[in-house]
Amino acid sequence: MSLLEIQDLIIEVGRAGAPAQVVAGLNLCVERGSTTVLVGESGSGKSMSALGIVRLLPRAARIKGGAVLLEGQDLLRISEAAMCDVRGARIGFVFQEPQDALNPVMRVGDQIGEVLTRHRGLRGLARRTRVVELLEAVGIPEAGQRLNGYPHQFSGGMKQRVMLAIALAGEPDLLIADAPTTALDVSTQAQILTLLRSEQQQRGMGMLFITHDLAVAHQVADTLAVMQAGRLVEIGSHADIFERPTHPYTQHLLRVSPRIQPDLAPPPLPVEAEPLLIARGLCVRFPGRRGLFGRIITQVTAVDNVDLIVHGGETVAIVGESGSGKTTLGRGLLRLLQVDAGSVNFGGREFFELDRKALRQARRDIQVVFQDPFSSMNPRLTVREIIEEGMTAQGLGGSRQGREQRVARLLEQVGLEAASIARFPHEFSGGQRQRICIARALAVEPKLLVCDEPTSALDVSVQAQILTLLRTLQQEMGLAYLFITHNLGVVAQIAHRVVVMHQGRIVESGPTQTVLFKPTHPYTQSLLAAVPRLP
Amino acid sequence: MVKPVLLPTDVAFLSSLLLVGLYFWAVRRDLLMRERWRTVLATPTGGAAALILCLYVAVAGLDCLRVEINGETKSLLDYLVSPLREHVETTYSAPFAAYGYAREVIPGASGAARQDYPRLRYGARHLAQPSRQMHADVLRRGMAGAGLGLLFLGGLLALVNRLRGRPLAGMFTPLTESTWRLQWLTAASICLALGWVICLAPYYHVLGTDKVGNDVLYLTLKSIRTGLVLGVVSSFITLPLAVIFGIPAGYFGGWIDDLVQYLYTTFSSVPGVLLIASAALSLDLLLQQHASAFPSLLARADMKLLALCLVLGLTGWTGLCRLLRADVMKLRVAEFVTAARALGTPPLKILLQHLLPNTFHLILITTVLDFSGLVLAEAVLTYVDIGVDPSMESWGNMINGARLELAREPAVWWSLLAAFCGMLGLVLAANLFADAMRDAFDPKLRGATSPSSS
Repeated sequence: MSLLEIQDLIIEVGRAGAPAQVVAGLNLCVERGSTTVLVGESGSGKSMSALGIVRLLPRAARIKGGAVLLEGQDLLRISEAAMCDVRGARIGFVFQEPQDALNPVMRVGDQIGEVLTRHRGLRGLARRTRVVELLEAVGIPEAGQRLNGYPHQFSGGMKQRVMLAIALAGEPDLLIADAPTTALDVSTQAQILTLLRSEQQQRGMGMLFITHDLAVAHQVADTLAVMQAGRLVEIGSHADIFERPTHPYTQHLLRVSPRIQPDLAPPPLPVEAEPLLIARGLCVRFPGRRGLFGRIITQVTAVDNVDLIVHGGETVAIVGESGSGKTTLGRGLLRLLQVDAGSVNFGGREFFELDRKALRQARRDIQVVFQDPFSSMNPRLTVREIIEEGMTAQGLGGSRQGREQRVARLLEQVGLEAASIARFPHEFSGGQRQRICIARALAVEPKLLVCDEPTSALDVSVQAQILTLLRTLQQEMGLAYLFITHNLGVVAQIAHRVVVMHQGRIVESGPTQTVLFKPTHPYTQSLLAAVPRLP
Repeated sequence: MVKPVLLPTDVAFLSSLLLVGLYFWAVRRDLLMRERWRTVLATPTGGAAALILCLYVAVAGLDCLRVEINGETKSLLDYLVSPLREHVETTYSAPFAAYGYAREVIPGASGAARQDYPRLRYGARHLAQPSRQMHADVLRRGMAGAGLGLLFLGGLLALVNRLRGRPLAGMFTPLTESTWRLQWLTAASICLALGWVICLAPYYHVLGTDKVGNDVLYLTLKSIRTGLVLGVVSSFITLPLAVIFGIPAGYFGGWIDDLVQYLYTTFSSVPGVLLIASAALSLDLLLQQHASAFPSLLARADMKLLALCLVLGLTGWTGLCRLLRADVMKLRVAEFVTAARALGTPPLKILLQHLLPNTFHLILITTVLDFSGLVLAEAVLTYVDIGVDPSMESWGNMINGARLELAREPAVWWSLLAAFCGMLGLVLAANLFADAMRDAFDPKLRGATSPSSS
């Protein structure tokens, strides 16, 4: 008998009149001591399946049919009280966002202890001892003191370790990890994956691991199940899926997943290219702790003395982990936030010395595309109004008719149908929205486009399409890109040159081939070593 | 001589209604807004509350259209309910009474005076022997009223069915259908109530009479205008203040924010009742000094009402202002605002095109919630004699008058109950409507009820 057996699980969302099946008949087994990875893009129903197993679905969703057998006992047919004894004690759960999953006003020791009291009946000193053991097991140093800390005193990776300690506290037979490393940096991700894997093997637990990232799946999986639109399309062993995928969707996913391969990167531009943007000695500081009367006591230096050159028609990638100052650098260059020192020469003009009016005009040449395709457009405007905004502000496009023609042309350029013009952003998918954002930026005919993580909120297949679009636009219009990202796989596909940032400073820069395949700085080397790779 | 009369509060109230109408006209093509308003009306409580609010607004609107005939100013409502207005007794009488509340000295036929309960001048006058005939008469007229109400309802249903192109056969299905049932049941109750009032009110004082013999139903109907004017006009005074101060404070920050914060902290620290009391007293003085400018009692009372709206409006904007400021502070770092700045969009346009529409749900919900607070404030302020003029019909004045009547034996309970019910209906409907609106408009709540992405 398998540890967990899911039979024909059906989950519906939406109103009773017009239900939509997000999980349409899932069949899956998780064996003791092995890891099953559920892979799929957003909307494939993988998270819903995981929540359905422990009966923690959001209110709008409901289980319509099927069975979830944990050692032969159907979890869908037992009472809620009995289910409370299953959650935490027999099934541990690690969520995607450790920030949201921990109670911010409760000491982490108590959050772990809660489970020990509920499921193991431990109290007092015995409970405390066990908490320390658990924290040590998940690799938190000085566990004796740290258990008195609050979640905000822990970093993202540390919080995820605490989450894991909570999940392990009840000594579960099955661990469900719902994309536990998506919110983390690559080096932290590597540590957490190693930790999960070793805990799973030591304790002989079954693990159901959910992810959208095939490279991560490659690292942890014994068995892989690929989901698409609520259906399981292929299931097989690690070797089966990665070496002999049979279903076209699996093959497609493997093909579009970014890889760090030397033959993909575009060659560096000829040296004669004219510099478009020259930044010298940029510094951005944020006020840290404030004292009485708002006096600034400490400062955080987000960008520390950065020099940067971007040539016309060139893609420069800025790579770094969260907190490295790469986004701040991008906003600083755009003069969207106050820069404390340094100068930016853009196309022969000193960008930071322009007065307010001249700056508004100069903004035409340097545009930005953001990460989140959901918050980067005003939900109350139509696509036409969104794309027209820059033209109106810059006085381009002439008459109303002229502007409308231009909007239509831009939509065609970014690969959207002309009928989109009168629709609202919420009617589009993430990838389509990102296309609209690109069209909005292109409407003012910029020379440089700052792309701040433009693909990290998108599925891999959509990501590949957006990257192709960006490359095509560069060839057609001679655009330069400043591509800010944490994803080295994306960098390998698009950048001519790479700049690696760490703690506000540039630690290494050079042609993509050199930086990615012959890195010299130890930080770059460790970063590259941590990236999960596909064969 | 017939001459239309428009008092200042009439103008303010009717133009507020016009603004609301203009808003709906402006968003009629906006699919998103249409969908949200439809959701509000489709929510059972929201739709029912909207119907009741419409009834109140209609009564108040009729009461705002006045004409002067032979030196006497009357509103359309006065003409519609003229039997109620004209049937004035000498003093108190209970609901459906044929005899007065207190014993009076009645000259007998033989010249010998006796003390007894007098027959009312108008209540149940058509009955020769009220004690024997009354029950049957009330029942008969009640049935007729119900019949009339059902006729209204049938007409309404037939009209809707025709507009929807549905067969006449299934005419009564809306009443049993599950989705719009409560809305239709509310409409049915309104129709029935109308039918009863039309059939019974000319012959009986259905809610009794007050100290000077005025029909309490008439007073309650007239009070609707006072309450609504106060709530609506004050809300429309708070709105621009809150928007003009709150949104720029949140967006620009810096000294503008400091200034606005200083302003609203100061305003909300002043005890509101004190400010209103001082304003009411100085207004009284002002009116006395310029008595010639306000020839009639009506004009004076109206001026006082307008002043009260102004004071309540000027002190009431701080709550919404604070909410708007906080919301805009969150929105100003949203990527679409940053993108607009990167495109070189001028700040004023960012405020109007990006920030105002995205805080609109907040403005709507808060305004409707505050509205009910203002209606209640009228009653409280009038009770302590700093509210509307004593000559103006209002729920506050009715309650104020009923204060001592409750202590009488037997108690005069009907004016208090009528004022209470009138106010409860309005405030409850406004609150339920605000609730339904919040469910439909608030993006945070919408995230919780709609299917989340997996």
